[in-house]
Amino acid sequence: MTATEAPTAPPRLMVYWLRRLGDKLVLILYSRLFGLMLALFLCFPKQQRMSHNNGIGATGKLRIVDHPEFPAHEFFEPGKEFPVRIRHASATFLDDAMNCIRSLSIKLSDQQFKSPFDIEMNTGVTSLFWSAASFLKFASMRGEKYGVEYREYNRRYPDGLKGSMTAGRRHASSFHNLHYYCKTPFLFVGKDGLKRYAKYRVIPADSEVEIGKETDPSEWDQCNQRILPHETRGRNYLKYEYEDRVKRQGARYRMQIQTHPASEEEDPEVFNNMVVWDEDLYPWRDLGIMTIDKVLDWRESTLTTFSVNNMPKTLGVLPAHSIFDYNSLNYMRAHSEIARHARVLSYKVFGMVPPIPDNDNRNVSDWGQ
Amino acid sequence: MSLDSLNIDPVTTPEDPEHVREIIDRAKRETRIEYEYGGSFFKPRMKGINHLEVGRSKIIASPLTIMIEWLYLQYEHLRDAWDRFSASLWPRHPDIWCDRVDSHLVGRTVFAGNRGDGAPIHHLHLEMWGRTWLGNWRRLSVGRSDKDGYFRLPFDVRQARRIALRRIYFEIHTTTRVYFHEDQPNMHFDIWRRQKVKKSDLIGMEYNLRTLRLDFWRYREDAMTPRAMVNENGDEPEHYSKGRVDALMAQVIPIELTKLKHLEQIDLAPGTLSIPEIQADYPENLTTCIEKYLPGYTRGDDWFGERMMNGMNRGCFQPDPDRPGNWWIRYFGTCWYDCNEIYALPDVAIRFTLRENGLPKPEEIQLTGKLSRFDDDPHQTRIYTPEDEPNWTYAKRVARVTGAFNTEVEEHFSGTHLNAEQFAVACYRNLKLNPVAALLMPHLKEVSLINHAADNTLIGGYIQSASALTQEGLEQRCRDIMGMQDWKGWEPMAPISEAHTCAQAEVMFWDVVGQYVDEFFANREEQIKEHWFEIYTFSEDLVNHSVPVAFTGPGDTPPDGDDWAALAKTRFDYYCQQYCFDPTLARAEMDGTTRAISRITSAESWAEAGPDDWQNLKDACRYAIMVATYLHTWINEHQYDDLGEILYACGGLRFGDKPSGIMAPEDDYDIAPDLVRSTQMLWFTNLLSRTEYGFITRNEENDVNPHFARLLEERRDAFAALGVDVDAIESRTNI
Repeated sequence: MTATEAPTAPPRLMVYWLRRLGDKLVLILYSRLFGLMLALFLCFPKQQRMSHNNGIGATGKLRIVDHPEFPAHEFFEPGKEFPVRIRHASATFLDDAMNCIRSLSIKLSDQQFKSPFDIEMNTGVTSLFWSAASFLKFASMRGEKYGVEYREYNRRYPDGLKGSMTAGRRHASSFHNLHYYCKTPFLFVGKDGLKRYAKYRVIPADSEVEIGKETDPSEWDQCNQRILPHETRGRNYLKYEYEDRVKRQGARYRMQIQTHPASEEEDPEVFNNMVVWDEDLYPWRDLGIMTIDKVLDWRESTLTTFSVNNMPKTLGVLPAHSIFDYNSLNYMRAHSEIARHARVLSYKVFGMVPPIPDNDNRNVSDWGQ
Repeated sequence: MSLDSLNIDPVTTPEDPEHVREIIDRAKRETRIEYEYGGSFFKPRMKGINHLEVGRSKIIASPLTIMIEWLYLQYEHLRDAWDRFSASLWPRHPDIWCDRVDSHLVGRTVFAGNRGDGAPIHHLHLEMWGRTWLGNWRRLSVGRSDKDGYFRLPFDVRQARRIALRRIYFEIHTTTRVYFHEDQPNMHFDIWRRQKVKKSDLIGMEYNLRTLRLDFWRYREDAMTPRAMVNENGDEPEHYSKGRVDALMAQVIPIELTKLKHLEQIDLAPGTLSIPEIQADYPENLTTCIEKYLPGYTRGDDWFGERMMNGMNRGCFQPDPDRPGNWWIRYFGTCWYDCNEIYALPDVAIRFTLRENGLPKPEEIQLTGKLSRFDDDPHQTRIYTPEDEPNWTYAKRVARVTGAFNTEVEEHFSGTHLNAEQFAVACYRNLKLNPVAALLMPHLKEVSLINHAADNTLIGGYIQSASALTQEGLEQRCRDIMGMQDWKGWEPMAPISEAHTCAQAEVMFWDVVGQYVDEFFANREEQIKEHWFEIYTFSEDLVNHSVPVAFTGPGDTPPDGDDWAALAKTRFDYYCQQYCFDPTLARAEMDGTTRAISRITSAESWAEAGPDDWQNLKDACRYAIMVATYLHTWINEHQYDDLGEILYACGGLRFGDKPSGIMAPEDDYDIAPDLVRSTQMLWFTNLLSRTEYGFITRNEENDVNPHFARLLEERRDAFAALGVDVDAIESRTNI
């Protein structure tokens, strides 16, 4: 493709700063309102997370590598061990056999919520949305019907479609052999005091083939997440497989970090979760080995929740200035805590939601009684 | 005007050639009519060219309607004034509002098609604009589609989502005209399509407008020749210039009123109107004017030979292989085309020798086909010589009529109008950045519109009702003639004598166009080569949409039988000389047929171009300009001269009810066109010959390269010596 690149004009001083202020106010409003709407219309009345309801929790430990190659950080001391609680999930449908994005959330504590460090990751190196504005558009254009969704969104936003193609996993053989990425960077201020940005990923500790990637899917394939005809896998097959695996041999993961030095004249594209950092310039370094030895029951898994606010100050969420800012995604996550509180409250008021049944009600994103 | 009414001997011609020449020249001057049509406020008027009808055109004559029309015009003026005021109040500044490119508007432009997507539209000029609540325009991005039709316009999402902006527009601009300033061409872009983009849909990264299927210079799928799809209003894919419309309206109203008067009279009291009266109501033409001074001269052999050589029909002289010094001209009649039972149209072959002054002398006329209702054999040939009076005089009239039909349908409509249109469509679809656009567009504009009008008024209107062929037959015939049109190897008619001034002038104009094209290419060689891809797609469109070589495509072949095969061969051989078509050239094959138009280049870039491609392009451009200007002008100019007297020549003679059929005197009105067709014929020939606008030397719209005009000016006297007024040569085919 060719196109004439538009010239860049200098900022217009007073107007520029007024606009920045306006942008920030809009971002705050968006984030707060979004959290409130979630709480009022989804999390409390329907007792649901925003998307990743279909999951399984587990516990174990994370040991930081003895000889880190990433910049030294006081939180990630070499050889240090943390208890961990993780949760694997499939978004958004309650059917493991569908073509879904799979996730891994990690909490460096064995608590339902409290933790010094939480991180949430999904399959795929890029995302389906890249800012608060794009996330709201994504959410508003879901248009799900019988397991087919985001048709119009994928038609209008090629980057979202590409992200969906890289993230979707159908017929994964296990949650364990998939690769999980946190795509939007976080702050990383090491012992040297230098400001950096960091991305995290988790891969199997030992070399394993990642199974479940679709080969050359079409635009339509990506919208159609339904189970395949004559599917023999059940609604919970991945969770059962993980439970068996952990009981049988446990699960070992390699947690890695990628750091990027900050600069004063930062190109905002550094924060773009649709842009993969060059691995030659910013290689992945081992952060630690995570060993899982126990699976949590449905109740404990459901009560386990994660938050980007659970981070040390030197590893926190990067500031955002507008709803179009790439960092606004994490900003919005950080300001939606009310939704989490509402969901936990609903369990106390209405009781715990039941486990996902093994019935033939397929391609659904509710419990399907 | 019949010979009997003139009471003269039809074969008598004056003996003093100089005196005759003076009279003819005087008649030519006298019949160059300039209408003085001032009129009052309540003069009848017409809305536009598309309101012309061969029946009753939409004339506004009622005073009340004129008043309402006037009020509406004032409203339009007011609206235009408001638009101009708005444009000045809220100008569209070219600066781009962008602090940082972080988003792109993407999509693809393709030609619309009846069955799925058409080919990609490359190099379309695209812009993205925002309009504020106060009406100000902000340009957000600019770009163009690439070779595959994809576009990616960079913009700043924050600028696009500013609260000050009320709406976002995506605009497609096209080249609407070329104008010259200080000898340099300037391409003028206009907004062709504007599409709203929902502001809230712009969220950063790429926003996909998807595949835009555009009716941009779309080929008609239902046409038998390469044609542009024109909308119902007749004002797309291009527009007539205002000057063109005004010029036509000024000239056409008087003759339109005359026609309307005749049609009313024929409806109400047909017995009160006759052919001579109809003739008298229209402006005098060349033949009627000559008859005033030289009664009977226009029916004589001298005039017959002169007009066959240098008149509208300007026949193609084929040497007789068996008789040196003898030449044949052929006009083909109904052949195997679908025809009606009302009109006769036999094949005509005329043998000439040359007189001492170089003008042809008719020696023999062969008429093949049905001459009366009682004939059954379409292959029967009758031979007439000057000794066979009065049949010789009747045969000359039949020859003029078949000649006029051939000239109108084959040389005029097919050879220039349809031929120019196939270049026009390919040019407008493909040439955007290449300077060749500036060379061709001034000469190819408006032809698609006038051809669209001709579909209803000429092919589907007058000709099918005033001659032997049905609309279906006419369309097939046009397709066959288009199958003989190719730029490669084309040369003007070779003069056969000093008196063959029409051919000499054609050669001279061809030389002028050649020099003009050579110099244009030499001055812009680098840019033409840089944008060679457009030449490639131009060539591909020309070839892929051209018709098969005549009589070879499925459905185009003649009926079974030796006689038809022989006629097809005779026609093909004759057309090869007439249209300079070389059947031995290697041509593109598509869908099992050989295409008539030769390929200009097979290379997408200049680096891959063949050694002949540069010359091919120059030859193709030279040919297209020649067709759209001189070749069209010649026939158009002379229509009223040779088709402006009902009884002298017309589109078709009726069989009548007598055994003699069309071999009858002019005062046998049973074989002449009926009253309706008579007035329509004169209306038509007046319309076509006398409503021209857009001349090379006058350059009314600054759209013609002044250098081209200067080259013609330099040869003004030489052209004048050959009877051609350079000021009358049209720059384009638009009537």
